Amino acid sequence: MMVAEMKIKNLCLLITLMAIVAAPAWSLDVDKGQEDVNTKASAETEKSSDEKKDKKPKKEDKFFHLTDGTVHTVTGGVLRDISILCKNGKIVEMGQGVTAPDNAETLDASGYHIYPGLVSADSGGIFGSSVENSTNVFSLQMTLALAGGITTAATGNTAAKLTFGSTEGLVVKRDLFKSLRYSSIEPNAKYELRAKFEKVRQYLREYEAYQEDKKRDDEAEEPDKEWLKGKYQTCLTLIKKNAVAKFTANSAHELLDVCDLVSTFDIDAVIVGAVEGWTVASELARANVSVVVTPRKRARSDERLNRANGSSIENAAILHEHGVPLAIVPGNTSVTLWGLAGRDLLHLNMEAAFAVRGGLSEVAALRAITIDSARLLGVEHRVGSIEIGKDADFAITDGDILHYMTHTRWTVVDGEVVYDKFKDTLFDHIRPDGELESPPPDDYWPRRLGDDQ
Amino acid sequence: MIAYYPLRSCNTFNNFLGVRALALLLGFAIFGAGIVRAEDSGKSGRIAVRAGKVITMDKDDVVVNNAVILIKDGKIVRVGEASKVKIPQGYRVIDALDRWVVPGLIDCHNHTAGSLMDLNDMVYLTNPGLRTLETVMPESENIKQGRAGGVTSVLLIPGSGTNMSGFGTVTKMGGDTVDDMVMRSPGSLKIAQAGNPEWYWFGVGRSYMNYNTRQTLLKAKAYHESWEAFESGDSAVEPDYNPIFAGFRGLFSREFPVSVHTQIYQVLMTTVDMLTKKLKLRTVLDHCTFDAFKLAPLVTKTDAYTVNGPRQFWFDRSQRKMNGNAARWWQGGVHKLGINTDAPVIPQEELPYQAAMACWYGWLPYPALRGLTRIPSEALMVDKRIGSIEVGKDADLGIWTGDPIDPRSSCELTIIDGRIVYDADVRRRF
Repeated sequence: MMVAEMKIKNLCLLITLMAIVAAPAWSLDVDKGQEDVNTKASAETEKSSDEKKDKKPKKEDKFFHLTDGTVHTVTGGVLRDISILCKNGKIVEMGQGVTAPDNAETLDASGYHIYPGLVSADSGGIFGSSVENSTNVFSLQMTLALAGGITTAATGNTAAKLTFGSTEGLVVKRDLFKSLRYSSIEPNAKYELRAKFEKVRQYLREYEAYQEDKKRDDEAEEPDKEWLKGKYQTCLTLIKKNAVAKFTANSAHELLDVCDLVSTFDIDAVIVGAVEGWTVASELARANVSVVVTPRKRARSDERLNRANGSSIENAAILHEHGVPLAIVPGNTSVTLWGLAGRDLLHLNMEAAFAVRGGLSEVAALRAITIDSARLLGVEHRVGSIEIGKDADFAITDGDILHYMTHTRWTVVDGEVVYDKFKDTLFDHIRPDGELESPPPDDYWPRRLGDDQ
Repeated sequence: MIAYYPLRSCNTFNNFLGVRALALLLGFAIFGAGIVRAEDSGKSGRIAVRAGKVITMDKDDVVVNNAVILIKDGKIVRVGEASKVKIPQGYRVIDALDRWVVPGLIDCHNHTAGSLMDLNDMVYLTNPGLRTLETVMPESENIKQGRAGGVTSVLLIPGSGTNMSGFGTVTKMGGDTVDDMVMRSPGSLKIAQAGNPEWYWFGVGRSYMNYNTRQTLLKAKAYHESWEAFESGDSAVEPDYNPIFAGFRGLFSREFPVSVHTQIYQVLMTTVDMLTKKLKLRTVLDHCTFDAFKLAPLVTKTDAYTVNGPRQFWFDRSQRKMNGNAARWWQGGVHKLGINTDAPVIPQEELPYQAAMACWYGWLPYPALRGLTRIPSEALMVDKRIGSIEVGKDADLGIWTGDPIDPRSSCELTIIDGRIVYDADVRRRF
């Protein structure tokens, strides 16, 4: 038996080996063949496309008509019984009694609240690491985020849309920020970064002087810029305000350090965290930085320190009061399935509700997850509010979006319904008729249990 | 869109909502918003709370709008409409005319009322003699933080690293000494079924764990019965005193419950079978997560209490459904249903938010609030003292800016035994 087995194993090994050796030659042949076919095919298509060019029919406009909802425009107040007409994914008309062409897809939103799609200033697990190449546009995570009313989210350094089922229009903006580390945990890196900024600023001064000199003296020497690469180049872009810097800082002294760097070199910056932001809110405002906060984030106060410290539920409210632009993100910026509810991206709106608990107005809280968040990402010209000319992204809910029982009924991205509560089994059993006392789904209980006792 | 607190059974609520609305508005104008306290004007221990809305959580589900609550020596002495209750001289008045007053919230599953280090002693697989009473730490940061969420009492239980980790303690979240705080010790016996104890050591599986737990309980039961026989005169032989099993006597005479860490369908089934049915213990089923809600028809036939959390939903892959645990238990007919945090898994002060999430997943706000107040008090068998705002009960209250379950509302004042233990005006913690 053993011997026979060994023989079979050896035989298998031999076949595998042969296959490996033979494979490259075989695949090469195939490639050659395919190349030939490809060239022929491309030649043909060129011909046919030339012919078609003249006859090509105009792409039909796609209309989407959202009727009679309560529209929370965010930037222009709340409007009742309003219809919105969208054309090719953009809002084109809005008002009472707006009519649509016959071919428009119509969604009756009467009794529902129409919000702009929520914008999350951070996310994880919804998009791939390379947004357009590795995003699964059919993922459960994406559907759940859409069920949370989110239509745009930053991922890594890119702002992307949750275009469920399509990769078209996925990327909204690339290279959102230049991430910098400026923390007292790494004093050397901190010192070096500041020195680099200083050197670049010195260079710019010298360059300015050189340009002045050149007017009078043809032999004026241009300052050396061989070194102006890598991190130095980043510093230059930031000083020229062609990019926005992003820092992570939480404690008061780190926030003040960042503020100092930002105001010294006059750069645009976003600070993520800002747990103790409420203690230095006026300094943050003066430095003109924006912040990404999680209102519920906790840091115990240290009573040994001779200043207010630790986290505060009033953080968002105090920052807003001082005029610091803010975006709100939940503690966990991905969608989780392990069962702890209301602490992940699915409940971004609830994180904003906790800011209201701390004294932020409901209007400002809504802004912090829509237009202010979009502005922080630099995509406010496209998303974050309901305005004519903006993207047709909506979260259509069955109630006030900051209320804990509100569900998203439909989510619309670029004029397409990408989430429908009752066409998906995820949440369709929760208050299916809008009644609080809804019957349980009938497919469920192991019937024999309990009955046979 | 969504109505608050659909109390169909309660006429008081509907009547007062309309009639008293105007009075309430006038109240704003006259007294101004916010809590105004008359400093030191009352004799110690006498407080009158003028409240916009009192959710009493009593058996009749009465809600009183524009009410007055009188507190004397740590007890509630009067609750009623403002027009009918005259505030006597010598009472310190708390004006909360635009506030909701609810009973102090109760968490049946807490690990943070003491220090975190000595709660999960994993000495043996069953540790019958241990108790958390020794770990209660008055005025710890955790306790202060919990009060900011309106939580006034908790069941402090040991962790679930072993099958039987000791006796829990029902404790108030206020008091200068352990004696002040503790309502009952032992508060419960903590048993952990499957899950965490499986990590105890290699080879520890569910059969052995159930055998081991059962053996320990059976020994304790035999001890209890031998003493009972002796005490009732059925037996003339005085049994030997056993300090470990002596603590179990209250469990078998149903003076305190067993609280069980039990999660999935199969495990919950063994729990109910062994503890509730065979050993006839007063059972509090803790966690009750994943697909455990399928057992609702079985649980409704027992007197067990179900306290769900910290997990609030279970994603059923086979049906692509996000099931709200509490909602599914409720729909299955389990109405002795509460909510917990398993603090520090969920911070203690977020107990009401757990209820909010249960509601998002399909439960109802009023039963959810009841699941934070009256239900846990019944589950812990302390409903004679806490869990509702009724005459004669402990003055444990939370004064909220609105619906306590709504994360937008905050607890502004927490009162335990008639003493203000948290005041957001002095230092807001949550």
